[in-house]
Amino acid sequence: MRNIYDFFEQDSRTAAVARILLSMLCVLLIWKIASLFVTNRLLLVPPEDVAQALVAEVQRGAMWTNAVATVTAVGTSFVVSVILGISIGLALASSRLLSLTGGPVLSALNSVPIIALAPLFIAWLGLGFASKFVLVLMVAVFPVVVTTEAGLRAADRQLIEAARSFNATSMQIFTTVTFPYALPFIVSGIRVAWARALVGIVVAEFFGSFAGFGFAILSASQTFDTARVLGYVIVLGAMGLIGSVVFEALERHLAPWRQE
Amino acid sequence: MNASIRLRIENLDKTFTRTGKPSIGALRGIGMSIHEGEFVSIVGASGSGKSTLLRIIDGLLPASAGTVFVDGEPVTGPGPDRAVVFQHDALLPWKTVIENVAYGLTLARMPWTQAHAIAQRFVDLTGLIGFENYYPHQLSGGMRQRVNIARALAVDPKILLLDEPFAALDAQTREIMQTELLRIWQESRKTVLLITHQIDEAVFLSDNVVVLSARPGTVRSTIPIPISRPHSLNVKRQPEFLAIVDRIWNMIEAEVRASLKLAP
Repeated sequence: MRNIYDFFEQDSRTAAVARILLSMLCVLLIWKIASLFVTNRLLLVPPEDVAQALVAEVQRGAMWTNAVATVTAVGTSFVVSVILGISIGLALASSRLLSLTGGPVLSALNSVPIIALAPLFIAWLGLGFASKFVLVLMVAVFPVVVTTEAGLRAADRQLIEAARSFNATSMQIFTTVTFPYALPFIVSGIRVAWARALVGIVVAEFFGSFAGFGFAILSASQTFDTARVLGYVIVLGAMGLIGSVVFEALERHLAPWRQE
Repeated sequence: MNASIRLRIENLDKTFTRTGKPSIGALRGIGMSIHEGEFVSIVGASGSGKSTLLRIIDGLLPASAGTVFVDGEPVTGPGPDRAVVFQHDALLPWKTVIENVAYGLTLARMPWTQAHAIAQRFVDLTGLIGFENYYPHQLSGGMRQRVNIARALAVDPKILLLDEPFAALDAQTREIMQTELLRIWQESRKTVLLITHQIDEAVFLSDNVVVLSARPGTVRSTIPIPISRPHSLNVKRQPEFLAIVDRIWNMIEAEVRASLKLAP
């Protein structure tokens, strides 16, 4: 028993996978037990029904259509968010004036529930890719901007002084000290951005689209098909989990000294 | 010593001006010279501007008046003829030991194979063999300072500037590192300027000890150390060694107490 416990606490990749599997198993178990007591299938369906619904969706081809719509929109928008976020963060970190004047606007935009503007975006940009793209961008870009600026500003003064004493140019200070120092910060911002992008895409698809996971969830819930709703939610959860695991690993890889 | 003068400081003043507040005189009329191959230490109470002086010599700070000359050339900014070992191990945490040692060389755009070969020489010299691929966070404080020293030596400076390099180490490690520094100095034959608040460290390592007074820092006295080297740590318990330490301590005691705001 002690051995099993130690294994799960290990800092290895196998243990990390095992931990994820264990937590999924727990969720499935609790879900299964709950579904034995809640027998109204409108409120809750057991896991095996959801699995069946997912298989049916794949066989129908609906899964594929929805996945293409969602993944292309969220993927492109996420990549653009990261690039744009890092660029804005760089600009803010390099200019004090820009940071002081642009900062309040950014924090205002960041705290506004942009999701609430979804109907407006759809009115401006129509149904489909463009409105999804912009909405996801609006929610995903800010965490990257904030962490990029914070990371660049956090750079160790002593490291910069050491670089200066070795006659480093400002460009060399940026590439060898400031940017590497900021990278793990930026990746943690990207991790948050991915989670927010997934929420953004679902909301965008709720409000206006003809395909995508959000659209599928909405249409399934309108026909009270709880199994299908939960099935698509699980697919989105898996996407979130994969992103989180990948970016966390990247963060650890980039900043091994922070772990100890 | 009849070697040529490597570092000369002439009439150097440093005043920190602050907006809306009276300016602070940190250094006044500093003058000294260090010969090639000499090991000179600067001691003084906190507030004597020791670290400020080192930063001016390195070119990280401009002087308010006066000039620093290296081999007769006035210093206008950081340059490859000077290298600093900082108190806090200013190592890049994402680079390995060998990459950190080669850092100054890569900044000077030296090809990696060449930089690596030179870095390896100084890894060997500073006793870091076997640790080339470790990251700084995997090393002890003493080992990290070895990396710092190796990194400064690797760029082959004319003068090695040490800013309280062992202040953050525990007492025992510090003693070992002092003998190590002496050995490295004897093997590399560098001109060394050490800033320290440890009087025994200064006396143990140096040819000359420069004593600074505080607020503003001025050269109070330059004391030649007549103890022959190489020597072991035992020398620190010899009467002649203790007499010199005592003499320097008497010079700065009042200021150390003042800096602690205690009555004498």
